[in-house]
Amino acid sequence: MSEYLETTVDKFTFKVSTDRLYSKEGVWAKAEGNRVRVGLSDYVQQHNGDVAFAEAKPAGTQVRFQDEIAILETMKVNLSLASPVAGRVLEVNPALAAHPELVNQDPFGAGWLAVVEAGDWESDKGRLLDPQAYFAKMKLEAEQEVKGR
Amino acid sequence: MTAPARSPKVVVVPCSGIGKTYGTVSREAAYQIVEDLRPEGTQLVALSMLVLGDESARSALAENPTITIDGCKLACASKMVKESGGRVAQEIAVLDVYRRHRQFKPQGIAELNPGGQQLARVLAEEAAVTVDTLVSKERGGQSG
Repeated sequence: MSEYLETTVDKFTFKVSTDRLYSKEGVWAKAEGNRVRVGLSDYVQQHNGDVAFAEAKPAGTQVRFQDEIAILETMKVNLSLASPVAGRVLEVNPALAAHPELVNQDPFGAGWLAVVEAGDWESDKGRLLDPQAYFAKMKLEAEQEVKGR
Repeated sequence: MTAPARSPKVVVVPCSGIGKTYGTVSREAAYQIVEDLRPEGTQLVALSMLVLGDESARSALAENPTITIDGCKLACASKMVKESGGRVAQEIAVLDVYRRHRQFKPQGIAELNPGGQQLARVLAEEAAVTVDTLVSKERGGQSG
């Protein structure tokens, strides 16, 4: 079961799951053997608003580290998400076609985006942030945004 | 002497959503329902009147079914109608309508782009069908 680091900034509470790694842009990667599940952090989903459409690259697509792995269209913006892992897309979350709101409702669980068969996970994970580092970065960003309003 | 049966009305409450594209779509759709598509069978109630506890607004909710139109998941219109004792017959979320009509991407706030205007129109047309159903049910209730 996931445990979370949690902070409240202004009226928003953001969670960071402690059982996975993060790109600095807030895409998470959770290793399951040689498969790596990928999704969006709670902070990024809250920051960008309700998801209208979520489209990951289809199964079979080869992605390099930081290649686009999914596109999200939210109420506010169109987001191109960079893959936190190199490899071959094995699965795309089938639930997101009918229920893209899962990305908002359960970003660390049912709202996952894709599963990638990792090419060199040992190397990729060294380029990602651990939960504590991502938490600190996310918290700073959120606080700076509130101050800047 | 008996009072004449009043004409059934459906109350339409859009969210306020000031400064938000989807809020503008919700208000534009509401205007189209009550001014253009079903002027006889509908009544617009402003969310702000419910927040203020306005008696005539609360009374309209008490006497009629309501369609709410919300621009975001906070669903302020739906929540406020329920808190004011209203009967929500249909909750419409702009985002859900957009998911079914992706070709109408809304943009703009003070003035909607053509996609936003078309989205407001299809939303209003869908709501108008609900209005017809509700009015006919209310009529049935009055005669029975």
